[in-house]
Amino acid sequence: MNEEKKSSFASTLPYERDDKKVSAMNERKKSSFTSFLFVLPYLTMFILFLAIPLFYGIFISLHDWNLISPNRPFVGLANYMEIFNSNSTAHELFFSGLWNTFQFVLYSVPLLVVIGLGLAMLVNSLPEKIRFLFRTAYFIPYSISVSVVAILWLWMLDTNSGLVNQTLIKLGLDSIPWLTKIPFAWVSIVIATLWWTIGFNMIIFINALNEVPEEMYEAADIDGASSWERFLHITLPTIRPVMLFVLITSTIASFNIYGQPYLMTRGGPGDSTEVLLMGIVEQAFELRQLGSASAMAVLMSLIIVGISLIQLKVTNRPEKEAKE
Amino acid sequence: MKKWVSLVATTSLFAGLMAGCGPSDSSTGGGSGESNGDKEIVFWAPFSGPDGPNMQKIVDGFNEKQDEYDVKLQIVPQSEYYKTVDLALNGQEDAPELMIMHGDQIMTYAEQDVLKGLDDIVGDTVQKDQYHENAWKGAEVEGTTYGVPLDIHPLMFYWNKDLFKAAGLDPESPPTNREEFIAAAQKLTKADEGQWGFALPTLWPQQFIFPTIVYQNGGTLIEDGKADYTSEAVVDALEFEKDLISKYKVSPENVQQDGELTLFLQGKNAMHLNGPWMLNQFEESNINFGVSTVPRLGTKQDAVFANSHNFVIPASVEDETTVTGIEEFLSYVADNGMAWAESGQAPASKAVYESEEFGKLKQQPQVAKQFDYVQYSPAVANWGPVSDPLFKAVNEALLGQKDVKKALEDAEKESQAQLQ
Repeated sequence: MNEEKKSSFASTLPYERDDKKVSAMNERKKSSFTSFLFVLPYLTMFILFLAIPLFYGIFISLHDWNLISPNRPFVGLANYMEIFNSNSTAHELFFSGLWNTFQFVLYSVPLLVVIGLGLAMLVNSLPEKIRFLFRTAYFIPYSISVSVVAILWLWMLDTNSGLVNQTLIKLGLDSIPWLTKIPFAWVSIVIATLWWTIGFNMIIFINALNEVPEEMYEAADIDGASSWERFLHITLPTIRPVMLFVLITSTIASFNIYGQPYLMTRGGPGDSTEVLLMGIVEQAFELRQLGSASAMAVLMSLIIVGISLIQLKVTNRPEKEAKE
Repeated sequence: MKKWVSLVATTSLFAGLMAGCGPSDSSTGGGSGESNGDKEIVFWAPFSGPDGPNMQKIVDGFNEKQDEYDVKLQIVPQSEYYKTVDLALNGQEDAPELMIMHGDQIMTYAEQDVLKGLDDIVGDTVQKDQYHENAWKGAEVEGTTYGVPLDIHPLMFYWNKDLFKAAGLDPESPPTNREEFIAAAQKLTKADEGQWGFALPTLWPQQFIFPTIVYQNGGTLIEDGKADYTSEAVVDALEFEKDLISKYKVSPENVQQDGELTLFLQGKNAMHLNGPWMLNQFEESNINFGVSTVPRLGTKQDAVFANSHNFVIPASVEDETTVTGIEEFLSYVADNGMAWAESGQAPASKAVYESEEFGKLKQQPQVAKQFDYVQYSPAVANWGPVSDPLFKAVNEALLGQKDVKKALEDAEKESQAQLQ
């Protein structure tokens, strides 16, 4: 909204100065050229690092593409058929990885959204002076690389010498096999992920909360609404578009889980936390089957796009309902 | 107008950034840089750790000694190494003239015909009997030699001398067989104090430990393209490992990735199996440790699992002067490889490992002692992915998720599917 206001304001300026039409048109051209220049950096990046790799990946997926061999015959959809052939190793790799990834998405996304919003409301209700401090503190982990995050948690959760279990033992409790037994392995991976990325969702929610008009709360107060009713009928409807954004970005990010299980559990115990991306990387760079790996990656992106569309459809009901 | 100036500035800054993203040389390790018409030999190696400068020292020595050839060492980080090698060998990028390759990778590449057979080269300047005979076994595929050995790195045995003393054991004589090992481990274990005789890893480096015990049992893992994980030798190896946790109770349960290493570094784990590359880390920690050959944890024979570093030449290198230059360099390395030993590794060249200077080192002579009975990964392409199911089975059995035999049966089927 704000963006729109600003740009329309800019383009009305020449009229206010009562210039001739020609100069107005020039101005407009210039303005759209300026806008183009602003988009250009992103566009270049988008084409270089997203569009080209995407189409190249689809191209590779249609070939028998061994990384070492210079011969790469075109095989059509054979790589895709292989994934759906229930006797192949590619099938096993893809679907067991996909199932594990699904589990992680199911465990992590609700928490990423709910805790993100909860933290945002907590931080927002703090006195102005210390609000900044907490906002920064919660956001800092987001800027750390995944390897550091994984190693931090690996040490803290170590069954035999980790901080967490040492503390449990001191309190007279049993130690917990955080990274070597199911369901604890998932719990640990989800905790590490929350700690790492929750700051981002929190910041987005804080901005959304600040956009909620104060008058609406005041009016609700006069009408005698409880704080829960205010949250339910004012806050939630107002921040709904942002909520949807957070939901979708969190889902996509969770599908792309790789570093945490790769570094913390190595996919264990057995292969119960071996997620899809680990399988794809193995297929691509250990077995050197780039064609098959690309086919898996393409299927994975289709699944992510599909799920995001469903989320969009289900959550973004017509505006009317919300207003009533 | 100001807006325009800043826009132009931003765009050009951006263009500069983009240029920086282009393909750049993999980090060049030093190099003298004085190319006065010498024949250049580009040499790739994955030595991005503390071993890099040691290899650079050898290369510098060779470049100074003669002025016909100029060897340029380019270090590619270990994690990127084989991806980079793959791209170079399929002709997408300039291939080097000389590369380091691990023994367990040679078969995969040789099968794709991207490595030069070295049988014409070995024999003149570089001679087989200059190296330990077992070193060549790691570089041969079906009778053809594809690599010239640099070193062999077998599994090693480390122990905490202070804990041995405290438990009333002789800190200078580590166990040598299964019985002594179990007895020592039991004496060293004080579970209620969180001290363990031998914390057993459930993940890496089982890739070295488990095959070692299988080979010591006289067994094999893959023979003639068939995975055999249900033979008595293999089952006994896994049952023995499991007993260390559940029967002898000398290892804690649920050891996670690197959990046993953390305990060893904290002085709470008395005995530890790992590769010779750990030396630097152990020396930097303040534990009073000893290093020796791996005790015979199997029941039949001395054996230890090992991998190796070898020099290989891409098939595309045909220029004769270059090949002669490489021969001279390799022969120089064989005679002057002491610098490589300083990285903790044991060079496979007799001139080095039989020298007096080498004998005075702490770890390296122990590594070389095991040369006589090292065994490598089975002769199959893609050993890494093929063996994944096996090490998953080890993981599941040791974590009590699956019965030993069942886990091995499942793994055998999975590995077999990969082999076809």
